[in-house]
Amino acid sequence: MITIDMLCYYSRLRYMNAMEKFTYAVLTLLFCVVSRSLAMAILVLAVNGILTVKKGGIPFSRYGHYLMIPLAFLILSTLAVIVNISPTPFDAFALPVGGSYITASYASIHKGVQMILTALASVSCLYFLSFNTPMTDILSVLKRLHCPDLLVELMLLIYRYIFVLLGISFSISLSQDSRLGNKDFRTSMRSFGTMVSVLFVRAMARSGALYDAMEARCYDGRLQVLDEQYPPKRKEILWIIFFESLLLIFTIWSRVK
Amino acid sequence: MSKKQKKIVAVCATLALSFGIMPAVSAMHIMEGYLPVGFCVAWGVLCIPFLAAGLFSIRNKLSENRRSLTILAMSGAFIFVISSLKIPSVTGSCSHMTGTGLGAILFSPAAVSVLGVIVLLFQAILLAHGGLTTLGANTFSMAIAGPFLSFAVYKICMKLKVNRKVSVFLAAMLGDVFTYCVTSFQLAMAYPSESGGMAASAVKFLGVFAPTQLPLAVIEGILTVIIVIGLETYAMPELKSIGFIKEKEVY
Repeated sequence: MITIDMLCYYSRLRYMNAMEKFTYAVLTLLFCVVSRSLAMAILVLAVNGILTVKKGGIPFSRYGHYLMIPLAFLILSTLAVIVNISPTPFDAFALPVGGSYITASYASIHKGVQMILTALASVSCLYFLSFNTPMTDILSVLKRLHCPDLLVELMLLIYRYIFVLLGISFSISLSQDSRLGNKDFRTSMRSFGTMVSVLFVRAMARSGALYDAMEARCYDGRLQVLDEQYPPKRKEILWIIFFESLLLIFTIWSRVK
Repeated sequence: MSKKQKKIVAVCATLALSFGIMPAVSAMHIMEGYLPVGFCVAWGVLCIPFLAAGLFSIRNKLSENRRSLTILAMSGAFIFVISSLKIPSVTGSCSHMTGTGLGAILFSPAAVSVLGVIVLLFQAILLAHGGLTTLGANTFSMAIAGPFLSFAVYKICMKLKVNRKVSVFLAAMLGDVFTYCVTSFQLAMAYPSESGGMAASAVKFLGVFAPTQLPLAVIEGILTVIIVIGLETYAMPELKSIGFIKEKEVY
């Protein structure tokens, strides 16, 4: 039902050590954001694309579709950065409107392209993590990084219950649809409202049942889950170190320049 | 018009048209990698006191009554699910609620700030809305600023004895509008305009997102009212158990 969650269980990189994937994705992301260079963004975009599509076996069409999701935000806000309203025209183009100009400079267009590419490259890092790592593995990494226990436990429970609630909401909207519950704007607003309130009632009832079930199994304030261990491979670690040090050198070089 | 100007008009028209058929309008998450690194860290640090306060309040609640752990987890999942459901919209494009306004008036803003971080992290990883580096900025606008304002508006309206439905509407709508303003300012601070600096940039960001965000805020307000009406009809015992309605209040 959540496509990314479904795809990551099919990924061929799923059984790679989760810590390795996490480290790789986060470090690359950081270098991308710190350096903000065009060349590096293209390199990272390409490497992540190859890793996710070729190595991970995620269909290219899906991957491309997901890269398009943040496009609305990207276009709107980059437009707001590039285009200016100013009494004096800049060098790239200028449309006279009344007493002032709708205008942009080459410097800001360059900055805009840089922003778009950096953002896409960073998104590809995030996608590398989320398309190849199941949520439970990410949670076990967070636990190893000493994230507060309470937070990790809450996340585990929330993750599980997202799917239960999505299932309930799906069957409610299906039955609403089949009874013409969405025939126009008014009815669909009403249907949505009643669906969410029933969802809330069901969620509260479930949470009670869940607690009773946990208590019956000797819950003492801590959720103990076994996680599967996939030992890291030396070759993969070497590759990651190589790639990240390349990016590090590149970042330092672009900062000094 | 010269040839160049005609070209520009054509480009503008295409862009305008493409906004018209924009497939998805989600609540305003700042996308991954869009903020410079300094701002990512600064917003993240700004969130820490709120999160710490939230975690402590949750821990206290848990030591009183362990049962609230599953209720909190359910509320988190509930907020995630209502923010991922398509809501009806006039134009036919699909859009989403933020859900945090409802969360803040049902539970408490402190708890929602912790649940909000988790929900935002899940949204980034599972739905590709928002991102890891912008988690701090998004948390501040969506899980802290919006909910706290919603909660304040709701409490003030209740003190002034405004009708509950009106106050729920105002709380949810203003929370949304505030989230949108805060996000615009976050973007403006990171990218001040070449002519006119930060203020001009803020106006530009506010203007660019207004056509999608303002109707969304009104719709979210109306939906939240319908949901609360539904809850008062079907879920009285549950509302009492989470403390939304005091025992003594009679309807």
